[in-house]
Amino acid sequence: MPAAAPELSSDAGQDPHLRKYVDRPIRRWLRLFVFFSLALVLTSAVSMLFADLLWRSGWTSSSTVLLILFVILFGLISIGCMHGIFGFVLRTFGDPDRITRLGDFRAKSIKGVSTAIIFPTYNEGVARVMEGLRATYVSLERTGEIERFDFFILSDSTDPAKWVEEEQRWCEIVRELDALGRIYYRRRVSNEGKKSGNVRDFLSSWGRRYRYFIVFDADSVMRGETIVDLVKLMEAHPQVGLIQTVPALVNAESLFGRIQQFANRLYAPVFIAGLNFWAQGFGNYWGHNAIIRTDPFMQYCDLPHLPGRKPFGGQILSHDFVEAALLVKENWQVWFAYDLEGSYEEIPQDLISNAQRDRRWCQGNLQHSLVLFGRGLAGISRIHFLMGIFGYLASPLWLLFLLTFNWALWTFKRSNLSIITVTALNPFIKLSGTAHALLIFAICMCVLFVPKILALIDLAFDRERRLGFGGVQRATLGAVLETGFSSLHAPLQMLWHSKFVATILLGMGVHWSAQKRTADGIAWSEAFRQHWVHTVIALVWGVAIWKLDHPTFWWFLPVLAGMLLSIPLSVLTSRTSLGSRARNLGLFLTPEETLPPSELDTLRVRMALQEKSRASQLPDASIAEAVLDPYVNAIHVSLLREKQLNPEYRDALIKLGVGRPEVRQLGEKLLGQGPEALSTAEKVLILSDADVVPWLHRQAWVRPSKSLADWWQTAIGKYAR
Amino acid sequence: MDLSLESALSAPETGAAPSGTIAGRPVEEWNAAYAKVESYFHALRIRNKTLLGRLVILVLKRAMRRAPQEPQLSATELAAEEMDAVVTEWFGQVLQEAPEAAAHMLSTRGRLALLLADMPGKWQEQFLHPPPWPEEFIKAMREAYLRAGPDFQLAKMAPRPLDLGPIATLTNLSTLPFRKMIFVWLTLALLFVALFIITHNLGDFERVLNEFAIWVRNLFH
Repeated sequence: MPAAAPELSSDAGQDPHLRKYVDRPIRRWLRLFVFFSLALVLTSAVSMLFADLLWRSGWTSSSTVLLILFVILFGLISIGCMHGIFGFVLRTFGDPDRITRLGDFRAKSIKGVSTAIIFPTYNEGVARVMEGLRATYVSLERTGEIERFDFFILSDSTDPAKWVEEEQRWCEIVRELDALGRIYYRRRVSNEGKKSGNVRDFLSSWGRRYRYFIVFDADSVMRGETIVDLVKLMEAHPQVGLIQTVPALVNAESLFGRIQQFANRLYAPVFIAGLNFWAQGFGNYWGHNAIIRTDPFMQYCDLPHLPGRKPFGGQILSHDFVEAALLVKENWQVWFAYDLEGSYEEIPQDLISNAQRDRRWCQGNLQHSLVLFGRGLAGISRIHFLMGIFGYLASPLWLLFLLTFNWALWTFKRSNLSIITVTALNPFIKLSGTAHALLIFAICMCVLFVPKILALIDLAFDRERRLGFGGVQRATLGAVLETGFSSLHAPLQMLWHSKFVATILLGMGVHWSAQKRTADGIAWSEAFRQHWVHTVIALVWGVAIWKLDHPTFWWFLPVLAGMLLSIPLSVLTSRTSLGSRARNLGLFLTPEETLPPSELDTLRVRMALQEKSRASQLPDASIAEAVLDPYVNAIHVSLLREKQLNPEYRDALIKLGVGRPEVRQLGEKLLGQGPEALSTAEKVLILSDADVVPWLHRQAWVRPSKSLADWWQTAIGKYAR
Repeated sequence: MDLSLESALSAPETGAAPSGTIAGRPVEEWNAAYAKVESYFHALRIRNKTLLGRLVILVLKRAMRRAPQEPQLSATELAAEEMDAVVTEWFGQVLQEAPEAAAHMLSTRGRLALLLADMPGKWQEQFLHPPPWPEEFIKAMREAYLRAGPDFQLAKMAPRPLDLGPIATLTNLSTLPFRKMIFVWLTLALLFVALFIITHNLGDFERVLNEFAIWVRNLFH
C-alpha cells in the first residue's frame, strides 16, 4: 500500500494551523506572488535604468546581449536581497508561520517511537566521523531518550585502510559508551548508487524498524535536545515528510574557514527566514541534518536513473533536492526548522578544497535541469531546482557579461568614433551619462549589501547573539572584512564555476590530485599549481583593458585583483595560524566559538588528542592490523561472517570473488611479497573473505620469518616491547 | 621480561644439552622464539610483566618438548605453533567448544570474547589460566557477541519512473546516433549564425548574404 499523506480534515488530533498550507493554496500562492513580484519589480526597474544607459551611448547588438545577461544576473541578486529583507522583517516582527510555531510540539511524547540516526560515510576521516557520533550520542544520552534511538555507521568506504579503521573505532566506541546493540556498523560490499544507494540499502535492510531516520553527514554533529525536538515535531505533524535543520558551520580553524563560518552564522538566519516565507511546507532537503519519515521516503524516493549518458543521464547525483520534490509531489510537507539550534556541520578549510566540493555539487545541480520539467512536481520544487542550477550557472553568465562588455568596448574603440551620450529615453532621468552609470552601480551594491546590513541590525537587537559574535562592533568589522574577502574570492569562483560548467557540459572530468599541505595550510607550490592560470588570465585581461581604455581598467580592478592575488590569497587564507590570530583579535567570532556547546567542546578536545597521538605509520598499516592484531582481526572476521546473513550481501560477496581459491593465492602473495605487491582491489578482496583473513592471522604469526616478506617483520616488530 | 632464559627453561624434561643449546636448538633461536611469542601476547594487550613472562615460558616449554621429534622446524616455528595451540585449547575450554572443529572459528570467537569481556582491563590473570575461572569471567566470555546490526527487516524499494516531461524527448534524441549528430551540427550552425548576427549590424549581415549569393551564382556561371 502506498504511504499516503494523512488527510488533515479526518484527523481530529491534527494541528489546525497546518491546514492552511494544504487547504488554502491561495495563501501559499500569495506569498510566492508577493515575494517574487517584488524581486521582479526591482529587477525590472533597474534593468530599465540599465537599458536606458545602453540606449544613451548608442544601441548595438552587444547591448542586447548585455541587457539580457544583466536582467538574469540582477534578477538573481534581487531574489537574494528579498530573502534578506523578508527574513529581517519576519525576525523583527515575529514569524508565526514556521514549523516550530505551528503547535506545541514539545508536549508530545516520543515513547514507543523508533528513530535511526544514520551516518553514511565514504572514505572519510574515520576519527572525525566517530567523534561526531560520540558527541551526538552522549548529548542524546543526557536527554534520557537514548532508548528510542539507534545509530548506524553506513560505510561505503573502498579504501581498505578506512574500512579496517572504521571497524576498529566502531568497536572501541561501542565498548567505551557501553552501546552494543545501540550503535551499529555496516559496510556495503559495493557502493552502487553512492550515498543515495547507501541510504537505500539501509532502508531495505532495516528501514521498516524505524518510523523516522535522521541523516548525518560525515562531519555533522547534533545536540540531543534538537534531535528529540525533531522527532516530536514529526510526531506532532503527521503530514510532514521531512524537516531540514539549518546546520551552523563550526570548528573552522583556518582563516578561510573562519570567514565562511562567520558569514554563515551572521547572514544565514535572516536569509533562511526569508526562504521559509515562500517555501513553507514546500521546502527543500540538503542531504543531511534532517529528519525523514521512513515510510513515504521508502515509497516515493527510490530514485530512478535518468535517461541518456553522463553528465546529465545516469544516477541522480544531488539526490536530496529530488527526494524533497518527490515527497512534496505526493503531498507530504517538507519544512525548514530554521530556528532549531544545535545542528552543526563543518566546511572546507581552504579555497581549493572549497572548489573541489563545488565541482561535485555543480554537476549534481546542473543535472537537475533534466528533472526541472518533470510532470507532477510542485512549482516551488522547480524554483528550488532553478535556484540550485543558477547557483553555478550565474558564474559563466557573469563572465560572459564582462567579456561582452569588453567586446563592445573594443568594437567601439576600433571604430575610432567618439562617444556621444544622448538624453535618456525616460524623461525623468536628468543625469549625465557618468552619473547614470554610477547610479546603477550604487543600486547593485545596495542590493548586494542590504541583506548584510539587515543581518547586522538583526544582530544588534538580539542580545544573546550579539554576545556570541563578540559585540556589534566586532561583528561589523568582521562583516566589512568578510565583504572585502568575498569580493576577491568571487572572481575566482567565477572562473572556477565557469570551468566546471564548461567541463561538465562537455562531459569532461576535472582532475584533482592529492593536495600538498603544510602543517599550517596549503603549500605555496600547491597554490601555484592550482592558481597560475587565474593569475595569467588576470594579467592578460588587465593589460588588454589597460591598453583599451584606462578608466575601464579601474572599474575592472576589483575583478582582476582577486585573480591576480589568487596564489597568496589561497595560501594565506588556508593558514590556521592566521585563523587563530584573527580569533585572538576578536574577529570573525561566532556563537559556537564564544560559548562552545558541550558537544563541540568535547569533539574539539578529543580530536586534538587524536592529532597528538597520531604516530608515524607503516605503509598499509591497516592490512597489518587486520591480519596481525588478534582483536582487530577478530572484529573484522566476525563482521564478515555477520554480513553473510544478508542474502544480498552474500550474493555480492560471491560476485566479488570471495571463497574462490584465487583469494587464498592472493593471501600467499600478501604473505610472501607484502601488500605493495597487491592492488587495492586485491587487498579489498582478501579482506572480504571470512576464511582467508583468520587464516592469514595464523600464518603471519606461525610461519617462519624467512618465508614472510620483510614488511611483516617490521609490522610484527610494532608489537614487540 | 627480564628472566634468564636458560634458568627459566632448565626444566628436567628438556634434558641435558650441549653448552649454548637448549633442546637441540641454539639459545639465539629460543631468544627469537621468545620474542615472537612475547610479541603475540603483547598484541593481546597482556601488560602484566610477570604474567607475560610466565605465559611465554609456558609456551616455550611446550615447544621444547616437541623440539627433539621435529628437527626440521626452527624454535620460532615450534613456539609459534604451540602458542597458537595453547591459546586455541584454552578458548575451547572456556567457551566449551571442541578445539578441533574449525579451529579458526574458535580462535576468532575466543579473541573477540577476550576483547568484549575486557580481558586486558579486567581479567589478565585469567588468561591461559586453567579452570576454575570466576563465574563473572565465564559469563562475560561466553555471552560475548558482536552485534553489528539489528535483525534484518528486509524490504524492497523500487524506483518509480520519473516522467521528465519535454526533456524526455531531448534525451531520447541522444540515444539515436544519426539524429544526435545532425542535431549537434544544426545547433552548431545556428550558434554560429546567432553569433554572427549578434556581433554584426543587420546591414552587414545582409551585405554578407548578398556577397555569398553572388559567390554562389558565379560558381555556377
